[in-house]
Amino acid sequence: MPHASAMADSHLLKKDHLKGFLRKLAKEYRLVAPVRNRHGDVLFSEINDLDTAKIELGEPPQNSLKQFLLPQQEQLYTYMVTPEGYDFSPTRTTIPPTVYFGVHSCDLSAVLYMDVVFSRRQRDPFYLRRRHGSVLIGINCNTPSPNCFCNATGSGPFVEMGSDLQLTDLGDRFLVETGRAPGQALVQRWQRFFSSPTDKDREARYQAFLEARGRFTRQVHVEQAIRRLTTDTVPEEVWEELSLRCQDCGGCAYLCPTCTCFTINDQQLDATSGLRLRSWDACTFRGFTAMAGGHNPVQPKTGAIRQRFQHKLRDDVRLNGRPSCVGCGRCVGACFGGTDIVRFVDRACQGIL
Amino acid sequence: MIQTITDIYLPRQAKVEQIVVENSQISTFVLAFSDQQFNEAFRYQPGQFMMVSMPHCGEAPISISSTPTRPGTIHLSVRRAGHLTAAMHELKPGDTIGLRGPFGRPFPMEQLRNQDLLFVAGGIGLAPLRAVINACLDQRERFGSLTVLYGSRTPSDIAFQADHAQWRQQGVTCRLTVDAAEAGWDGPVGLVTGLLDGLTPELNRSIALICGPPLMFRAVLNRLSAMGFSDEQVLTTMERHMKCGVGVCRHCHMDGKLACVDGPVFSLAELRHLKIMELAD
Repeated sequence: MPHASAMADSHLLKKDHLKGFLRKLAKEYRLVAPVRNRHGDVLFSEINDLDTAKIELGEPPQNSLKQFLLPQQEQLYTYMVTPEGYDFSPTRTTIPPTVYFGVHSCDLSAVLYMDVVFSRRQRDPFYLRRRHGSVLIGINCNTPSPNCFCNATGSGPFVEMGSDLQLTDLGDRFLVETGRAPGQALVQRWQRFFSSPTDKDREARYQAFLEARGRFTRQVHVEQAIRRLTTDTVPEEVWEELSLRCQDCGGCAYLCPTCTCFTINDQQLDATSGLRLRSWDACTFRGFTAMAGGHNPVQPKTGAIRQRFQHKLRDDVRLNGRPSCVGCGRCVGACFGGTDIVRFVDRACQGIL
Repeated sequence: MIQTITDIYLPRQAKVEQIVVENSQISTFVLAFSDQQFNEAFRYQPGQFMMVSMPHCGEAPISISSTPTRPGTIHLSVRRAGHLTAAMHELKPGDTIGLRGPFGRPFPMEQLRNQDLLFVAGGIGLAPLRAVINACLDQRERFGSLTVLYGSRTPSDIAFQADHAQWRQQGVTCRLTVDAAEAGWDGPVGLVTGLLDGLTPELNRSIALICGPPLMFRAVLNRLSAMGFSDEQVLTTMERHMKCGVGVCRHCHMDGKLACVDGPVFSLAELRHLKIMELAD
């Protein structure tokens, strides 16, 4: 129940006090927040100067937090080939503890998903080192954007758990709910920025939630699509149509906050040394499954596009009890072939709605 | 606490102790970790694989063809297929490569206990089965009869010849066939399925282990099923492209399963639930 908050405690932060609070945080943490840049784009960016940075909480940022926790390309090791051997030394970049401020519900859910991916079977040292010591300050979404459908993926517009602090914009003030222990500690330490909310504030939060829920313009039947996938009743022509339309650009995977497939490659520096790099990859790329010698075990016509949607809406549901699409709508805006996940859901459900 | 995470992607150095040329395309590399203590403590199970690093070539998954009952070295039997394996074929004894692993779900050795085992392989497909065959021979009393059927392109392509001789000496029924004969070959010519003719396995105590190219794989499955083998009685190991080996990068996806952690060993019963190229019509 969104209004019966699972969060431990609530406080009030006047908007006038926000910069003061962030200034304190920035002394001890690297601060990352959605910032409107000089071109007018909103992007999660590292903030070095709070006075000039235009923090934008009302518009979803174009990027997600993926690039901060799983960089598009990261160096895992340097290697040396000598007469004595072939030695790998881990690259240990120091990652300052980071506060991610103003994280929308979809992106917050995506981080929680990545936490599972990179620690479920094996603990991924590179991801966890970046994630370790980070603080997530979420913001509930009062005004979902036209492509948003987190209401259909169970990841918004308001979330009840997962962040360290969870904000709701109430006009001239934020209702701040404390989640995990680090969030509670921050509020306690910087008590002077916070006051006690009244019942009216809590009522206003509930009102904001109700209004946000009513503002979604898209109806995306994710549950039905999941059912079609788990019962293997997506018509063959849907796969064929989407495969035909997919331009193999990988834009969806690039922007997707939960697309975490990667490749590992060597970059030779000279005859005796090089770097081992991990980079983002996309399951829709033709070469993703190609084996040495060129044989590809994935069905050439529709295999790749099946994998994309089955993974997010079937396999991850089986594994985690929920889809790994968080309804952020980024792929909807980016896909010029019309092969985004909303198109898939619509086509998969055609005839049953 | 964060410091104690094992680095799952870090290769360890291993020295090439010996190279056995199996045929013009396949060699078996006998390897030992340079860290002697680690080498002695290293354990694996038949059916598991290693991620092999070669300078400037990245990594590739290679199944282990040796047997844990013979500790001290690891054997990797490698067919020249891409640039990494081509580089491996340039290796000389004393050279160093990178290894991490072992990874993957092994063959269920407990389930094989007291069973008659029928191994059917084509080409490099004998490599992972060799690990099981030698494990069975080293604990002979635990298993029933052992039969190896092996198909090669031509007589000069027949790999693991030293093993075949050894296996025959130890009472294994070992039958070979080739797609095309050469001068001096008086054995059978034709698909490996032909070697199944005349076999009368005791179906209530038999398990078949298959590994080979997709076409062979399908033909053998059909034959075994016609002979009365149930899908639970057929085991295989799948080959896929892999980058991480630990279930994260997803290059080895198989209709919801990942070959690296859910496999590479599967029963046919498990594979029947999956839409995969090997079982496509």
